[in-house]
Amino acid sequence: MTGPNILMRDLLVLLAFTGWCLALPHYGSEFEVSMALTCLMYVALSSSWGLFCGSTRYLSLATSAFFGIGAYTSALTLDSLPWLASIALGAALAMGIAVVMGAAVLHLRGTYFAVLTFGMTELIRHAVTYFEKKVTGTVGRVLTVVPERDTIYLTVLALAVLAVLVSIVVRRSRFGLALAGIGADEQRAQTLGVNTRLVKILGFALTAGFAGAVGAAMAVRWTYIDPHTVFNPFIGFQTVLIALIGGAMTLWGPLIAAIVFSILAETLRLQAPQVYMMSLGLLLILSVLYLPGGLASLRWSTVGGWWRNRERSHG
Amino acid sequence: MSVSAWLELLASGLITGGIYALVALGLNLQYGLMRILNIAHGEFLMVGAYLTWMAQTTLGMSPLWMVPVSFAVMMALGVLIHWLTFRRLSATSPNLDIFEARGLMVSFGLMFLVQNFASYMWGGDLRGYDYLTDPVPLGDAQFAGNKLLVFALALLFSAALIFVLRHTLLGKGVRALMQSPTGAQLVGIDTHRLHPLMFGIGLGLSGVAGCLLSMAYTISPSMGEPYTVTALIVITLGGFGSMGGALAGGLLLGVIEALGMHFSNPSLKALLSYSVFIAVLLLRPRGLFSK
Repeated sequence: MTGPNILMRDLLVLLAFTGWCLALPHYGSEFEVSMALTCLMYVALSSSWGLFCGSTRYLSLATSAFFGIGAYTSALTLDSLPWLASIALGAALAMGIAVVMGAAVLHLRGTYFAVLTFGMTELIRHAVTYFEKKVTGTVGRVLTVVPERDTIYLTVLALAVLAVLVSIVVRRSRFGLALAGIGADEQRAQTLGVNTRLVKILGFALTAGFAGAVGAAMAVRWTYIDPHTVFNPFIGFQTVLIALIGGAMTLWGPLIAAIVFSILAETLRLQAPQVYMMSLGLLLILSVLYLPGGLASLRWSTVGGWWRNRERSHG
Repeated sequence: MSVSAWLELLASGLITGGIYALVALGLNLQYGLMRILNIAHGEFLMVGAYLTWMAQTTLGMSPLWMVPVSFAVMMALGVLIHWLTFRRLSATSPNLDIFEARGLMVSFGLMFLVQNFASYMWGGDLRGYDYLTDPVPLGDAQFAGNKLLVFALALLFSAALIFVLRHTLLGKGVRALMQSPTGAQLVGIDTHRLHPLMFGIGLGLSGVAGCLLSMAYTISPSMGEPYTVTALIVITLGGFGSMGGALAGGLLLGVIEALGMHFSNPSLKALLSYSVFIAVLLLRPRGLFSK
């Protein structure tokens, strides 16, 4: 999976994808561009999530915490800082919090880790809500200075491409091998001389940095933010769903699933929001039951496998 | 503060705590026995509450009658869900860790499914009905009749579950499976029958909790999630898999919340419970009462 041919193929696919996304704002309608923006946001979020959580199998539900931190950072600093600087600051703050959080919880595995990251996200959300209510006396914040639509689009596109690019590079590096080693057998990796603690914290911070940057970029898109929208646990869930349904271990799975989901979301959400959420839940259950490796692992033989199982269980 | 005010505060904490304990016991049964961390647990509480509300407003049935009905309906639903999803999952997962992670994802899916089904069916408004709202004097303090009933029934069901687990053959089988799945299977305990049954009983208890809640509070499709989180906090307080711990943890959390809210302010409630949760998970991950 790491031969030079595969590398060329991955880079070419990424290049084609980027080109197409660059062209889109010039001919697409307002609706299409906004849909592409949501899509790119989830590409960045779930690719970077898969980078750490997919390979190490640490199920983090804290994406919305980092997203919210980024969003608040850019909302607060956009007046005084240039656009790119406030995004970088959002990413840096999210990474800082991830390092602290990671140092505290990354020694726990499995369900404990998932539940703790979820709890910490909620803790941060309630803390920000409380702070806003009591100290600043507002519920939400209105963003007055907003960059143009194309600036936001290009920034999010750059983040999405960067997330995929970093995934491609990390998979081939010593660091990526260490992450995969932790996912396969953490004790063995430790015995073989991997500093698992450091690698995990770095990986977690990398994921958080992307989520923070995306949050910072998307906050201006909404022009009004409150803790409930930007720390919405649903952003975290949907990221995890997309990565898992696409195949968290694979490179292109999260991207494919992000596109499918954004289209599904934008077409169904307005007419029938509950139906959208219900089908999301159903899809998640079905994909965990029948496609545990994700959409990207779907081959003709998988379908054949279901068929054989069926015959065996009847026979 | 006078003694009676203290007692009133403690009692109101215990009343909420009773419900917490009931919800947590069901979740603990599912997690302790099968390693299914059912994030959708609170959603079935909400369904139980809506069933009771519907029976009360459209058929005029007394909510008390709905206690066994919602237990039976939720238990049947639980057995069905286990049969449809978790049975296949445990057959195809290579090891327990992977089963746990996949089970968590499936229950996230269930959460979306059930919660949105409810808001599709019944709309997002707050609903409620009046039942036994007259205050009952107890010593110096006064309590709403429905809340006292809720507390009594919650304790009754919790005690019943603990009794069944401790003193019947069925309960002994369940505890044996919790201690050592392979050992229990070797001495002839049937996992394929006990797992769906216990998953069903867990959901049934959640349905009962919902039914009880609807007697005293207003209900909405999003009411379940906070209870799931609270139940998680309670079972971490009491220790995963420990039933007595869950009961004590539930009552304790109810009192902590009541005291905390009294001395700071109500909007800190969620912040307080999450802080307790994270502190316990980090400092005593095996539960407060573990040795």
